[in-house]
Amino acid sequence: MAHQKHSGSLIQGIVIFVILAFLTFIEFFIAITNQSLLLLSLVALVKASLVMYYYMHIYKLVESDHETDHHSFAWKLTTNRLGFWLFILSDAFLFAGLLVTRFNLLGMTRPELNQYLGLAVTAVLLISSFFMNRAETQMGMGNQKGFLISTAITIILGVGFLAGVVGIEWQEAPFAAGDSAASAVFFMMTGMHAFHVLTGVIFLGIVFNNGRRGLYSAEQHWAVEAATVYWHFIDVVWIFFYPALYLIGRLA
Amino acid sequence: MTKSSSRGFQSALLFLVIGLVAGTLIGVILHTLTTGKFEVAYLMDLPSWMLGLLVGIAAFFYGLIGYTGLVRGLVWQVVGTLAGALLVSGIRFLLGLPPFDLNTFGFTEPAWVTGAITGTLAFLAGVGALTDWYMSALGHPLSDEHEHQHGWQRYFGVSLDHKVIGIQYTVTSLLMLSIGGSFALIFRTELSQSGLQVLSLQLYNSLMSLHGMVMIVSLLLGIAGVINYLVPMMIGAKDMAFPRLNAFSYWIAIPAAVLLLSSLALGGFDTGWTGYPPLSVRAPLGMSMFFVGVWVAGWSSILGALNLIVTMLRLRADGMIAFKMPIFVWAATATSIISLTATQMIGLAFQLVLFQRLLGMPFFDVAKGGNPILFQHLFWFYSHPVVYVFVLPGLGVISELLPVFVRKPLFGYKWVAMSSLGIALVGFLVWAHHMFSSGMNEYLRVPFMYSTLLVAVPTGVKFFSWVATLWQGKLTRELPTPMLFVLGGIVVFLLGGLTGPPNATVSTDLHLTDTYFIVGHFHDTMFGGYVFPFFAALYYWFPKATGKRLNEKLGKLHFWLMTPSFLVMTLFMMRVGLLGMRRRIADYDPALSFDPWHLAMTISAFLIAISICIFFYNVYISSKKGESATGNIWKSRSPEWQVPSPMPVHNFDQEIKIVGEPYDYGLAGSVYVQIKSEE
Repeated sequence: MAHQKHSGSLIQGIVIFVILAFLTFIEFFIAITNQSLLLLSLVALVKASLVMYYYMHIYKLVESDHETDHHSFAWKLTTNRLGFWLFILSDAFLFAGLLVTRFNLLGMTRPELNQYLGLAVTAVLLISSFFMNRAETQMGMGNQKGFLISTAITIILGVGFLAGVVGIEWQEAPFAAGDSAASAVFFMMTGMHAFHVLTGVIFLGIVFNNGRRGLYSAEQHWAVEAATVYWHFIDVVWIFFYPALYLIGRLA
Repeated sequence: MTKSSSRGFQSALLFLVIGLVAGTLIGVILHTLTTGKFEVAYLMDLPSWMLGLLVGIAAFFYGLIGYTGLVRGLVWQVVGTLAGALLVSGIRFLLGLPPFDLNTFGFTEPAWVTGAITGTLAFLAGVGALTDWYMSALGHPLSDEHEHQHGWQRYFGVSLDHKVIGIQYTVTSLLMLSIGGSFALIFRTELSQSGLQVLSLQLYNSLMSLHGMVMIVSLLLGIAGVINYLVPMMIGAKDMAFPRLNAFSYWIAIPAAVLLLSSLALGGFDTGWTGYPPLSVRAPLGMSMFFVGVWVAGWSSILGALNLIVTMLRLRADGMIAFKMPIFVWAATATSIISLTATQMIGLAFQLVLFQRLLGMPFFDVAKGGNPILFQHLFWFYSHPVVYVFVLPGLGVISELLPVFVRKPLFGYKWVAMSSLGIALVGFLVWAHHMFSSGMNEYLRVPFMYSTLLVAVPTGVKFFSWVATLWQGKLTRELPTPMLFVLGGIVVFLLGGLTGPPNATVSTDLHLTDTYFIVGHFHDTMFGGYVFPFFAALYYWFPKATGKRLNEKLGKLHFWLMTPSFLVMTLFMMRVGLLGMRRRIADYDPALSFDPWHLAMTISAFLIAISICIFFYNVYISSKKGESATGNIWKSRSPEWQVPSPMPVHNFDQEIKIVGEPYDYGLAGSVYVQIKSEE
């Protein structure tokens, strides 16, 4: 039974990943053909919804625990979930503000960036999301080893994403932060996102370390769930930032 | 008070004096270093006094509690600031950049800003607000039961009890209120006569700007205090949902306040509290301290709001469905929705200016494709809704107290509850009414004018409810002090509300914008919507916190001194504003013959200050030998008054159950709260 559930979740994870990857290529295709802002926004919204439902399990927010004992794990879990999602909501306003900044200052133009690199880091983050989902699922099944391996892969991919954006893209970019409003927006958006990736990597590092010491069980692993939601949130942000920076509009 | 602690108080006063002198001297030395020469006049310098005040307060607390809690936090903040700043200076040295800059008080601006952030983190670590989370990250389990300390010392260290945190917030808020008010008195003195007598232009601008932001932070802390103290009691909970986060939200506000005040000692700034670029890009170093301070204070606001919403959703007593919650809880929820989300926008706006100042990223430089109007959009997306953050809890207090004193049900409970949410939501759609004259796209003006006028609808609902509740109410012959403040609040807020539409309407606003009319309108809304209800709440719930009642005679003196002076001040502000007096200026043309009006305003301002001093004296004398009040002295139906005062450690020793309507005052046989007996 447990084995069936396991393979079921694995297949679901793969299917969602394939759909997300396919939609990313669709985005790229739209960008090089007709550049429709409406279509790009729609695809991004669909991707974000898929991640929020299948990876972040937003539906768990309305699950009621019917628990009256405020010291019980179930009660605290529901409470913590609410609090954490409110934090995500608050943080989302920061990134929404950055998008507003981008469209106000740049309009329908975009900075000149390395398209292949952009696609590559997007793929890295997407794959990391897949492994993050695997890690959480395996912890849910009590598979300690699988959890550790998947978390380690996620951390490595996260560091890879940082290296791609900060280490390569920032150095390669044909402009400096002070050159124009467009370049400033590029560095601000990627910088703020990279800062969140960095905190996510630290968060995952803590979870990995505590998981290695056996502090989480199949029933009680709130920290793992929180780290997962945070990591996928970073992915959702990039789902909007990637088209906003790389795909929308014509070259300035 | 025991003998040893009173001796502690005396030594603390000694430390205060020593700290004041030492801090002032440090300020003079800094001033001498930056200008390269010493003058006796530096001793009279307000920025040096500011530094003296900060050091003095820290020394006072050291004398009071020794090296622990708050004092350790402040010391760590200084050390953390120096460490962060030195780190940046070191990196600059390695990169071949000049590591130090005498024009900006020794360190360069990037070093100061980094130091401000590391200092904040160091404060939090030093005070102990991060200890539990740090241990938890290392894999140590957190305990559910936190110990409850007793005695007054617990107010100076990390406590997880919402009642302690509520009082900490409130006292800090009153302290900030006094500091911000003193700033106002100083520049009001300057304005009492045309020409420059007391202040330099730069200092006037700094004080005027800081008065705005210090007051705003004070208001944010004040509502956080009232909400923290009351909401868990009102919904029958033992504490907030996340007690550690609650303590963190309070303690992060302290380094924020220090940063804000330090901006005066570090060169000041001259932009007003709004910090519009491009002026704020060119302002002195104090501007950056101000930006970082507000950003840090924003986190206090965001996390406190998060905590409140979860508390409201998860911790209500049995039977307390949404439409049986006290009105104040509705108001607190509406407020928190704004704080949780919109605060990020002012944080972002200030960060963008900070990055332009530090790294030259030209977000607001038109020559490089930037847009200063963008700042105003981001800024007002928070800063307009934030006035609803201030007034909604205040209006909630008015709705909460009126039925108690008129012994009648609150008129239209559901409408009043929904009107708070209505104001909060419409509040998100009105920000650009601050920008009618800013040069934004003209087609935006009319929609924002109408959305602004729409706010009057839910606000009107509240006024109708209050008037209908008062109608045929059974008032006692002599009104108790909280009721006086409630009625005063309604009158003043009405004045503030009625002077709003002329500012919201584009055609009149173009004439009124940036005049004293706006200043008068704004102070009316803030006093009517926040200050009066805040004092009403203090007089009303003081017995709940201390078991003693504030002196009625002094309370009435406070009210009857403050209210007429305040009305004179704001009505005169509006008058000179209509006649063309610009706001935010240090001097005005004597030919305008505004001098007598300004003199009257200054005298009124000092009278208000005296009334606040009477309040502080009242708190001091009443907590020492006030009339004992341990029962339900206001005959309230609210849960917190069904248990003895001061509130027990865990609020409700027996759980409570909600069985009726909250505001059915004067109806025979109606019950709201039932205490579950142990079976």
